[in-house]
Amino acid sequence: MPDNSDTAPGSSLTSPSSPGAEKKKDEILPLKSPAAAETLALDEAVAGWAANFGSKPYGFEPKVLAFICNWCTYTGADLAGTSRLKMAPNVRILRLPCSSRVSPLFVIKAFERGADGVIVSGCHPGDCHYSTGNYYTRRRLAMLHELLNFMGIDTHRVTFSWVSASEGGKWQQVVNDTVARVRQLGPLQSQQSNATGRYLP
Amino acid sequence: MSELSELAQKLLGDGSVKVVIGYEEGPRGVRPVFVTDPAQAGKLIFDTRCVQNLAAYLNPRRQHVTKLGKAAVVVKGCDARAVAGLIRECQFKRDDVVIIAVRCGGVVRDPAKSPELSIETVADRCAGCEVREPKLFDHLIGTLPPRPPQSSQREDKIAELVAMTPAERWAFWSDHFERCIRCNACREVCPMCFCVQCTADKSRPQWIESSPTPQGNRAWQIMRILHQAGRCVDCLECERACPADIPLGLIAKYVAQAVERRFDYKTCDDPLIPAPMGSFSTDDEQEFIQ
Amino acid sequence: MPKMVSQSALMVSPLDLAALVINLVLANVRVIAPVLAKDNPEQTDYLPIRGLEDAVLGGPLPRRSLKEFFLPASEVLLRYRQGKKDVEVEEVRTTFPPQVILGARPCDAAGIEVLDRVMGWDYRDELWFGRREATTIVSLACPGVDACCFCTAVGLGPDSTKGSDVLLVPVEKGYLAQAITAKGEALLNREPMEELSVDAAGVDKAEALWKLAREKAPENLPPIPPTMPEWLAKNFNDNFWNSIALRCHGCGACAALCPTCHCFDIVDEHESYKQGVRRRNWDSCQTAKFTMHASNYNPRKTQIERFRQRVMHKFSIYPRRFGAILCTGCGRCSRGCPAGMNLPEVLGQLVQLAAAEPQGGSQ
Repeated sequence: MPDNSDTAPGSSLTSPSSPGAEKKKDEILPLKSPAAAETLALDEAVAGWAANFGSKPYGFEPKVLAFICNWCTYTGADLAGTSRLKMAPNVRILRLPCSSRVSPLFVIKAFERGADGVIVSGCHPGDCHYSTGNYYTRRRLAMLHELLNFMGIDTHRVTFSWVSASEGGKWQQVVNDTVARVRQLGPLQSQQSNATGRYLP
Repeated sequence: MSELSELAQKLLGDGSVKVVIGYEEGPRGVRPVFVTDPAQAGKLIFDTRCVQNLAAYLNPRRQHVTKLGKAAVVVKGCDARAVAGLIRECQFKRDDVVIIAVRCGGVVRDPAKSPELSIETVADRCAGCEVREPKLFDHLIGTLPPRPPQSSQREDKIAELVAMTPAERWAFWSDHFERCIRCNACREVCPMCFCVQCTADKSRPQWIESSPTPQGNRAWQIMRILHQAGRCVDCLECERACPADIPLGLIAKYVAQAVERRFDYKTCDDPLIPAPMGSFSTDDEQEFIQ
Repeated sequence: MPKMVSQSALMVSPLDLAALVINLVLANVRVIAPVLAKDNPEQTDYLPIRGLEDAVLGGPLPRRSLKEFFLPASEVLLRYRQGKKDVEVEEVRTTFPPQVILGARPCDAAGIEVLDRVMGWDYRDELWFGRREATTIVSLACPGVDACCFCTAVGLGPDSTKGSDVLLVPVEKGYLAQAITAKGEALLNREPMEELSVDAAGVDKAEALWKLAREKAPENLPPIPPTMPEWLAKNFNDNFWNSIALRCHGCGACAALCPTCHCFDIVDEHESYKQGVRRRNWDSCQTAKFTMHASNYNPRKTQIERFRQRVMHKFSIYPRRFGAILCTGCGRCSRGCPAGMNLPEVLGQLVQLAAAEPQGGSQ
């Protein structure tokens, strides 16, 4: 099975001992594997985000677009908000009735239109409000993940997750992780350009 | 007269079909032919140069062919999967077509060159073929030749790509997509692309721009192959048609491998077995989901 | 047979040519020549070179024609921005840095000249002519003909000078260079070249080679009679069309490869909600949507009508309007067609039909 999880060496997410610790400018934040099923403790996530907030290796703020389902993830995100959990502000949320409304075209178009990262999130399999929607999502996103990876788009920019209505903490973690990873990777525009063809000056 | 020509003559003569879609000797090697007159049935041949997927002519977008009337189509086992796919997706009924399946021992990549089958000349799709004796047919003809030479060239190339870093893969595909001019030949020749309005042609909203920009070309191929996931029969008409010689077969094969690995499904010639993207299992792998 | 090389030709050794290329490159003039294709060393592409050693002169016919250096596959026509009160339009430049195409095939160079006529017809296409003025085309007389070539059938030949500024004829010691236009002469004057007398033995050998090519091309298709354009116009509804294009998928690969196909689509693309570009992209009359009206009516509904249109445009409409066949006989359409459509074959059948029914059949 091809290894889809390109990880930098030493990939467990570490954080400084306290939120206010000095952060060296050139300290590289190890990338979290998107394929790993580890979960972060909330403190660590907050600490990691806060520590990262001060450093801007590329001098840019990532734009992350999140396509989330109305019934579970949106409610979970709402819970994260009402619980006053600290989350990176870089995520723009698009609410859809179900995660299976997400066409791979949305993800592709998001990248083309200036998003540096994308999150797609829905209910846990078996809990879909429309019974079977997220089973189709799972298949579709599996193929999208494979193909994005094969075509050379770094799948660290994309996060797929199941977040239920009570998992405010998990939503916080998904958001902070994704933003940290995408900040690390830099703007997507550095990879793309609007030049056409190879013959034009 | 060959078994094939006799059968065609009979089918045309008794009116069971209006046209037999098969292969003939053209000015540059083997090419498709449409025989409507029983007296012309002698034109039909079948040899190792018959690489084209004739199921493409059953695609309802080929109105100039479908308006001729009920067709009999000469298919190899691999092409029969495209016929099954079109039936599965309700493009026509099983009774609307007569399938003349030919037992096949492999074909060469280029129908204009020598018919000699060797590791260098064999078509990529013949590797791992399990349908030399076709299973979907109305008439089964020919004798079963030996297995074709098994070339692992494509699988090796895919393994090489998979072992690269994403940045290297990006560079590999950028190199190829530089030549892409978005002529859409890959879409037009595909037997499974039958949408009257392709998603890429929509302008409100416009998902895929029509200009050949690097990101647009990549987005186009990703979208096209995603629409083919589980449906693509690997006939590689797209790669043959591409005027820019882009190795589309690599993407098609990779997705076929992914579909087999994840959903235990190979594009098959039984129209009753549902395609993977239109169905699901509660046990699908989700290692890529947090 | 006319002598293909005039007495005013210059003898150019490979060293002279290499020096000329270096001269151009150092002067920031882009030099384009056939180069081995990166993905397939048996093929060549027209690509920029830094030195003559990168080029493959006299190799296989490059995969794509020269038209993309004058009519790019995608070209920005203007940029627009939503200003405070009005839309601001930014024009694109219409003058271009100089470039030289070295080792062009005569069929490719001729295609450019044929296209000049439509590009300057009712509207002078500034982008096309801007690139034309900046470009000097140095053709290399064609070394070989395969089963798909038919340049002689459309009034050209392996040594045709149509569209070229300089014609190079390979001989034993190098090339005989003949300036066809003032631009060509200016190019040859950049570097001191040996002014030898025309090398008789070398030229005879080259002549023999092209005699062969000139005889082989008509085997693929004899010259198309001058009555063909009118005959085609009168026989628009002939039954022949219903059977000839059945195998065509309408993929458009032929148009992409053709040196003279020039149809394009104009699209507006937003880059953000406030600004965007207007682009011109290649298109093909062979695609289903090419003539689709907004009302959903399509006058060319099936491939039959669309293939007929291809032949009519190239061999009837364009000749009647502009006096030149919109085809140079390069054969790329037939070589590249995945379904085995073959233009020499189709034209041969049409010529026979026209000879059998000179007045035309159905109306």
